[in-house]
Amino acid sequence: MNAEEKFTVPAATMTEKPDEYELRAELPGVGKEDAELHMDGKTLTLKTHAKYQNPAGFRVVASEFERCNYAMSVDLPEMADPATLSAKLESGVLTVTVKKRPETKARKIDIL
Amino acid sequence: MNTLMNIDPWSLLDDLLGTSSRAFRVVKARAAGRFPPVNVLLDDNAVVIDLELPGKTAKDIDLTLEAQAVVVADRPAETTDTETGKTTTARPAWSRRLELPFRVDAEKANAKFTNGILRIELPKADAPGARRIAIEG
Repeated sequence: MNAEEKFTVPAATMTEKPDEYELRAELPGVGKEDAELHMDGKTLTLKTHAKYQNPAGFRVVASEFERCNYAMSVDLPEMADPATLSAKLESGVLTVTVKKRPETKARKIDIL
Repeated sequence: MNTLMNIDPWSLLDDLLGTSSRAFRVVKARAAGRFPPVNVLLDDNAVVIDLELPGKTAKDIDLTLEAQAVVVADRPAETTDTETGKTTTARPAWSRRLELPFRVDAEKANAKFTNGILRIELPKADAPGARRIAIEG
């Protein structure tokens, strides 16, 4: 790894819906072209490579957040079907959705 | 009476520091989720303000330029009463006023959202009434 590369774990939440799971991660300053998602088995890995530089000649007078890159990996739940994974990155928020495997869905059983 | 768990650590810090520390007040407000973090960059001719607002777009934010300050606030959703048809706007959830070190040229000010970061660029205004005088002869 490049010594200059520094990664932060993003603020992220995973929610369970009736048919799918949704992972939402905040990646402010990161565009679609700067984010990389990998799926290995049931592990989803995110890494970003945004290149930000302060405008030339300016000095920082207040710094409450850092322009950084993000990395995280999560294990998808057993019931998730990795083949149905889809992701979008809008306004610095990554949303990954993955459907539940149909056979794991709740169903009514007829009593004979 | 406060139990140990109910004591707000920030109020303790405020007591210790005498609440005058701006940095701590900023941290405190951030911890409460009251307003987004800000970076300010400065050169001789302009000030650049970045706000971290993941998930927000131009329609979610109100920006007002004062003579020597800029106010950024979230734009609350308008709700229309189905019976009366009256539209009401809630108070903004947060609002932040940033003092600027110089007067800015409102005409040349610009603000743009890129990937959840709002960048406000404010060029310095020419000194009011100042004008270059050509010397004859």
